[in-house]
Amino acid sequence: MERVLLKNIDNRNSADISEYEKIGGYSSLRKALGIQPKDIIEEVKKSGLRGRGGAGFPTGMKWAFAAADPKFPKYLLCNADEGEPGTFKDRPILEKNPHLLIEGMVISAYALGAEYSYIYLRGEYPSAKDILNKAISQAVKKGYLGNNILGKGFKLHLSVHQGAGAYICGEETALIESLEGFRGQPRIKPPFPVNVGAWNMPTVINNVETLSNIPYILQAGGDVYSKIGSKDCPGPKLYCISGHVKRPGVYELPMGTILREIIYTHAGGIKGGKKLKAVIPGGISTPVLPADQIDCPMDFISMSKSGSMLGSGAIIVMDESVCMVKVLYRAMKFFEHESCGKCTPCREGTGWLSSIIGRIENGKGKKEDIELLSDVAGNISGKTFCPLGDGAATVSMSMIKHFRDEFEEHIKGGCKYKILHNVIPA
Amino acid sequence: MITVTINGKEVRLEKPITIFEAAEMHGIKIPHFCYHPLLEKWGGCRMCLVEVEKMPKLQTSCTLYVTDGMVVKTESEEISKARKAMLEFLLINHPLDCPFCDKAGECDLQNSTTLYGASAGRFEEGKRRHPENINDPLIVRNMERCISCTRCVRMCDGVQGASAISMVNRSNKTFVEPFSGGRYNCEYCGNCLTVCPVGAIMSRLHRHAYRPWQMEEEVKTVCAYCGVGCSFVLQVRENNIVRIMPKPEVGINKGILCAKGYFGYGYIQSSKRLTSPLIKRGWKLEPTTWDEALTIVANRLTEIKKKFGGESIGGIASARCTNEDNYVFQKFVRACLGSNNIDSIVRTGFAVAQRYIEDVIGQGATANIISGIPHSEGIIVIGGDPTHINPVLGVQVREAFRRGAKVFAIGYNPGLERHRTHNISYYPFTESTLLSYLVSKLATIKELSGENKSFESKINNFKGATLKDVEKVCRINGSDLNRIIKELSSISSVSLIIGPDIVQRTDVRTNLFLLTAIAYMLNARIYLLAEKPNEQGVIDMGCLPDTLPGGRPLDIESFRKRDEELWGYEIPPKPGLTVFEMIEGANSGSLKALYIMGGNPLYNLPDNAFVKSSIQNLEFLVVQDIFLSETAEIADVVLPSLGWVEKEGTYTNLERRIQRLRKSLDRQGMEDWRILSEIGKKMGFKIQYDSSLDIMKEISTVSPLHSGLTYDDLDKGLDVWPYKGTPLRHKLGAGDWPLTKSWSPSGKEKLYLTIEKHMFLSGTMSRYSTALNSIYQEPCAKINNDVAERSGVKDGEMVTIKTEKAQIILPIKIDRNIPDFTVLLTNNFIEKGAMGLIPYKIDPITKTPAIDGCEIKILKREYE
Repeated sequence: MERVLLKNIDNRNSADISEYEKIGGYSSLRKALGIQPKDIIEEVKKSGLRGRGGAGFPTGMKWAFAAADPKFPKYLLCNADEGEPGTFKDRPILEKNPHLLIEGMVISAYALGAEYSYIYLRGEYPSAKDILNKAISQAVKKGYLGNNILGKGFKLHLSVHQGAGAYICGEETALIESLEGFRGQPRIKPPFPVNVGAWNMPTVINNVETLSNIPYILQAGGDVYSKIGSKDCPGPKLYCISGHVKRPGVYELPMGTILREIIYTHAGGIKGGKKLKAVIPGGISTPVLPADQIDCPMDFISMSKSGSMLGSGAIIVMDESVCMVKVLYRAMKFFEHESCGKCTPCREGTGWLSSIIGRIENGKGKKEDIELLSDVAGNISGKTFCPLGDGAATVSMSMIKHFRDEFEEHIKGGCKYKILHNVIPA
Repeated sequence: MITVTINGKEVRLEKPITIFEAAEMHGIKIPHFCYHPLLEKWGGCRMCLVEVEKMPKLQTSCTLYVTDGMVVKTESEEISKARKAMLEFLLINHPLDCPFCDKAGECDLQNSTTLYGASAGRFEEGKRRHPENINDPLIVRNMERCISCTRCVRMCDGVQGASAISMVNRSNKTFVEPFSGGRYNCEYCGNCLTVCPVGAIMSRLHRHAYRPWQMEEEVKTVCAYCGVGCSFVLQVRENNIVRIMPKPEVGINKGILCAKGYFGYGYIQSSKRLTSPLIKRGWKLEPTTWDEALTIVANRLTEIKKKFGGESIGGIASARCTNEDNYVFQKFVRACLGSNNIDSIVRTGFAVAQRYIEDVIGQGATANIISGIPHSEGIIVIGGDPTHINPVLGVQVREAFRRGAKVFAIGYNPGLERHRTHNISYYPFTESTLLSYLVSKLATIKELSGENKSFESKINNFKGATLKDVEKVCRINGSDLNRIIKELSSISSVSLIIGPDIVQRTDVRTNLFLLTAIAYMLNARIYLLAEKPNEQGVIDMGCLPDTLPGGRPLDIESFRKRDEELWGYEIPPKPGLTVFEMIEGANSGSLKALYIMGGNPLYNLPDNAFVKSSIQNLEFLVVQDIFLSETAEIADVVLPSLGWVEKEGTYTNLERRIQRLRKSLDRQGMEDWRILSEIGKKMGFKIQYDSSLDIMKEISTVSPLHSGLTYDDLDKGLDVWPYKGTPLRHKLGAGDWPLTKSWSPSGKEKLYLTIEKHMFLSGTMSRYSTALNSIYQEPCAKINNDVAERSGVKDGEMVTIKTEKAQIILPIKIDRNIPDFTVLLTNNFIEKGAMGLIPYKIDPITKTPAIDGCEIKILKREYE
């Protein structure tokens, strides 16, 4: 497949605007400014592009909602708060191909009628911040950003806002709160950000990867785009694979590539000739899949059919040496630490879950603890304000479902996987 | 029309509201923690989950709006299970210390747990520890009990607008903390206490002193601190006020209170209250019996009346007393003493402003509903900070700002710092120059309505200051000002909030003309800030030298004759003396006796020394009060009266709403009106009443404004102007008082005294409230950094504050927000009052004091 998102990535200077222009960069923008905003939205609708942040909402539809709202000004926000453990798919775009993102954002803003846009960047990506800022100033100099873009009278200001390290700020409404200077906590939906978003104005929030697809859609046309990968959710997809594989990294493959193929063909299979034990297919908050269930296509629809989620496409591969209780404990520590404190079940429940799992992992568990664990997880599930708490609950439930015997063994005789056991951060 | 089915019951609704509100309207209760009717919706506690058909998950009823055809179930097995789960989550980190938690018995968490909770806990690890914070004099924070519902934070941010507290940390380590750390640095409105559903934020005033079910009585009454007239419920046990409970469903304040209302009630139980009558024997005041005291008063007054005539006796009424007290007082002075010398401290602001405005715009021009303020598009604030003088009205201004109104704050308004569109500050006391430019500029933009032709011609002929004058005198940037005026002139719904300071000026008449002109041109609703609870009542009851009850002019014979017939006593035809003329009369010897009801002129009028020597010149002084005030100390007879919760009666607030006070404590003694009628009886006059109800009956026949009004009407809500009465119909005047020349500063820059009206202080009452004293502990002289630098003083340094009249020693407090060339002093603390420093300067027509242009020096003290 021809690379769309990671084109030119092997060029050492790919982040420079002249290198980007050499491979046809900003030509889509030129094309876009020549057509009507509503036609761009139609084209994106036709492409079938779905949001790459994890929820998979049709992008064209989101834009149409925001464009239809009569309130002004409108805002375009790019969600670059890539904080989910296991996820690093946006990083190559931000650091190696920033102009692709910027071009995508200018086209999107033009389609929406937004004059101000922000990139909400993960606090732990300091080098990406410098690269983005440099790229933005290059784009301004060349007239791709600013008060009169390419002499067509369209105005857009783009700035980078760095987060302060909270996972919850990747949730779109918490991102808005944080951007406005408030405590990062999700807002009540509805109203949705497309109508009442940043500073209570219509706001579109898209993932880095989503926006980076836009120039190609404009260039090649929605029809061409819609023929890449799965039928229901087409397009190229970045899969970031980590853990016990020979070649971990970010792979650009058509949407719907089989999980087994990604692990064994692209990433080179399991390291050290060990056996595969489990895969977390879409970042830490997606349900775990045991080794025998990895023959499913990696797209939004197929993954939910097979009992997990595509999420951000962050594949965490674990071989037979891994203690699943320990994995869950580490995950739960993360959720406990990152729970924003707004809603009761997540605030109190994640802490409770993590103490139960910690107890089991440390050999102090009781027979009833597995029941207690699934009961508490069940009490969280479906009752939280945002998907963070839900994620914590579903991960726990999937772990118990697939690896119940391991939990029972821990309760009987403690943890047998001492190899990886080192310090667990508090 | 929306039709929703809740628990099988069909509910029809006009407009979309939340499921929670729809259920509540129809008597279906849904347990909740984070929802509160006053607050922005939150949806965090997950307790109000309900089942909605066609929705996969349980939904929070407090955030989901009803749609047509929605089918909702508020109770089911799944819902119960979810609620039980939420309670379990809340309780894992909540201490089970109900046996000594003050909230037990009225705690939402406790109540819900008894309804839905589990019988045993499953949480084995230790609970979160968080030491109770008792660093604050009024508020205790116990963050172990906090359930992170954020009601307090939403109250502080979104309603009160103080933004003093915040949630800190994440996950189960979340808790509430003031930005200032342990001790609060806030407005102490106490509204966070009102909304806390558990025992996490509690008042120290009644800590561990009661159980909610031990309350013997709950009385709905009205606050006696300022002119807003907030309602709340007093909880009483063993003849003591245990606490004050604001209720969202009660009163114009809708559950919002301020520091004075919430915490300031303690003065009523002060040990310094007067308990028996005192009479002067030699140089000392000694306790005596009621009979002796009343006989002496009656005999001396009769004697002086006989010897020097009624006009040699004066009476000062009180805006802290009820309508009934004030009505009987003016009747006593007019009928028994045969004098129209009756006035009050209300003259120094409210009364004069209202007189002028009503003359031009019509009676009732200031009767505007406070809850209308948030609906304005523009608000002009001048002459005092509403958030300090009338805090709950100030909250409405902040609400208006949040809703998008433009707030034009003129002068020093620290409470509106984050709630104003334009902050117009100027060189001290030059507002009339500023306003005169504003008026002449507005006159060129606005078309006049033609309602009051004579006033309009006055506006058209008025020559205001030029922009150059304004730039030079007021030190305001001219182009900024023009831009602001342009913005102001384009707004269609304007509220004009006028504070008392603007009246206490040398150029009072010009100021009043200009403000009235602004209101006239912008068609603005006028609100007059009132520092005392019954300033309007004093006016309406006829406690003015030239006005009869109901605002009827004394010099019109038919009005006088009518009242004489109803009373059966004669009313002297000649208008009497104002409060300052009485002081001057006492000084010159023409006034022989003075009867002061609930007032402290010796402290509250300018130039204490002059006022004291004048009053001492009197032959006979009677003071009726609840404390031994500075004035009472030099009286011949002191009569103790009953306080606000010890009697029945009514107050008329600044929006002219009449509200009932209800008796909730028993105390030996007599109401103000009863003392007066006893004296009247001893003097041979019949002004007897059985109860305040009886007086109201008479008021409703005598005052055309209140005709036919009964307490029942008030309870039914017929409490808003013009009640059932008839306002005075008169020809609109042109505002005939001749204009004064604008005050302008003499060449060199000087320091001027300005009186601080702080939200924690309220003269003679707050003095005796230990709670309020603990948050505003001592008087100080507030200046900004520049003044401090020029005077060479440091924060906290003791200095001598000197004017041409007197000097006092005070510590310096530096606050960068205070305007330049200004020293802020309070007039509340014993022997440290600012009024004593101000020269006695009275406007010859309005008879208001001018407290502007009082030059002040900060002198460093030599160390001994």
